[in-house]
Amino acid sequence: MELSHVLTYLAESAAIALRADAAAVCLLDESGTRLSVAAIHGLPAELLDRGPQEIQSCALDREAMSSRAAVVADAQHGPLELPGQDFRAGLCTPLIHEGQPVGTLHVYATVPERFSEDDAVTLRPLVDLGVAAITATRAMAELEALEANQAQFIRVMTHELRSPVVVAQSLVRNVLEGYAGKLTDKQADVFTRINRRLDGLENLINDLLDLAAGKALGPAEEGPVVLNASIGRVVLLLQPRAEDKSLEMTFQSCRDQLVVRGTEEGLDRVFVNVVGNAVKYTSPGGAVAVSVQQVDGQAQVEVADTGIGIPEEALPHLFEEFYRAPNAKKTEVGTGLGLAIVKDLVERYGGRIQVKSTVGVGTTFTVTLPLLSTGAV
Amino acid sequence: MANQRILIVHDDPDMVAALHLPLKSAGYDVLDASSSQEGLQKIQEFSPTLIILDAILETASNLQISLALRNPAPQSPYASYRHIPILVLTPSHTTASLRLGSDEAYLPVDDFVDMPINPDMLLNKVNALIGVGD
Repeated sequence: MELSHVLTYLAESAAIALRADAAAVCLLDESGTRLSVAAIHGLPAELLDRGPQEIQSCALDREAMSSRAAVVADAQHGPLELPGQDFRAGLCTPLIHEGQPVGTLHVYATVPERFSEDDAVTLRPLVDLGVAAITATRAMAELEALEANQAQFIRVMTHELRSPVVVAQSLVRNVLEGYAGKLTDKQADVFTRINRRLDGLENLINDLLDLAAGKALGPAEEGPVVLNASIGRVVLLLQPRAEDKSLEMTFQSCRDQLVVRGTEEGLDRVFVNVVGNAVKYTSPGGAVAVSVQQVDGQAQVEVADTGIGIPEEALPHLFEEFYRAPNAKKTEVGTGLGLAIVKDLVERYGGRIQVKSTVGVGTTFTVTLPLLSTGAV
Repeated sequence: MANQRILIVHDDPDMVAALHLPLKSAGYDVLDASSSQEGLQKIQEFSPTLIILDAILETASNLQISLALRNPAPQSPYASYRHIPILVLTPSHTTASLRLGSDEAYLPVDDFVDMPINPDMLLNKVNALIGVGD
């Protein structure tokens, strides 16, 4: 809820409660010495654009804020400080939160001596509610700003954390590939170890950032994504890695464009992880088959490999953060975060992920996502 | 490979060093610029054979170079450099490079190299773009 709506509602309710002709809410700015008109009822809209005014220049506000009590004024005893308005009576009550004034509420009437001290008492529960609403709305705005900061923090960290590792990896690869001179066997062994640890660190950073970024992004960013195209890119991306390991990677797309809800980046993360795992845990000479199809009105992506397989006792823990199956730990570097991220994202997009596996034979992951629409490619 | 000049636009001197090693060992002349402004200046000064850009997608400043070169304004001093091939360094853990590659209007470049750099692959792509070894 916008603060301005809350305040307009407060002004309106106050005017109705006291059968007044007009009402206004003024809020104190950061200086603590100036008030701005924040909401009006029955008053010209120009008042909202008037900008902050010194409390000292406004007798009603000054008195209400300093005595922390309602002030009843009558035009017979002095002007009501609203140029061009024909008000004869006014009441100004301070808005107080935890002992500190945050603003004032004014009500005006064209009839002289319209308001009394009793009216200030009548208004009090409404004023208290108004102050609570103002406080809650402001806290909400602060929280939203904090969330935006968090997302910004993650974006900055993505760069700051990854950069030094990526640079170090690039330098070490130069050494290992002989671009910095010939290595002795012992030096090559040391640099191979450094390289492996850096790769592990890069994986960990990527996964942590994916996890953090995934949790920081709201569902508002999601939209329709063409699943076939997304998977196609992932297969293209991972093809060189598969070729390096002499794996046969196949991709079977379907005739129709399958449109699902998600983000391109999120779906990338899901399938780079799943297909990447298949490539990672399959021995040279093996095969990875990726397919996209429409099954029972849903989009289904199947990633089947002829890899090391997942032991039955590991299956229930597979999607837990930091869990790694014992045979995976032995063969490859990893963080145990990848599949946790995958499951989080798939479920966010309204889908589910299933796995079937036999140790030594292979694994098949099936991701099912609700279809938004289909169309011929 | 004499007279084949490669301009690297990157603000991290260590990454620049990692790019220098393979490029120099292959005999290329290598020039550096640590900002896109310096990059544009050196393009005019040295008319490089190839440009390598860092593509941090969040900071679009380096995109200015590819845009200035590929979509120059009619009177632009860069209009005569639009033929220079551009290679962009991209983070490897996403398919961002493939997404960018599919949309020429957004980032008009010729090829991508994933970071961390694999020096052999870098040289393959550079040679291919310059037309060495054809």
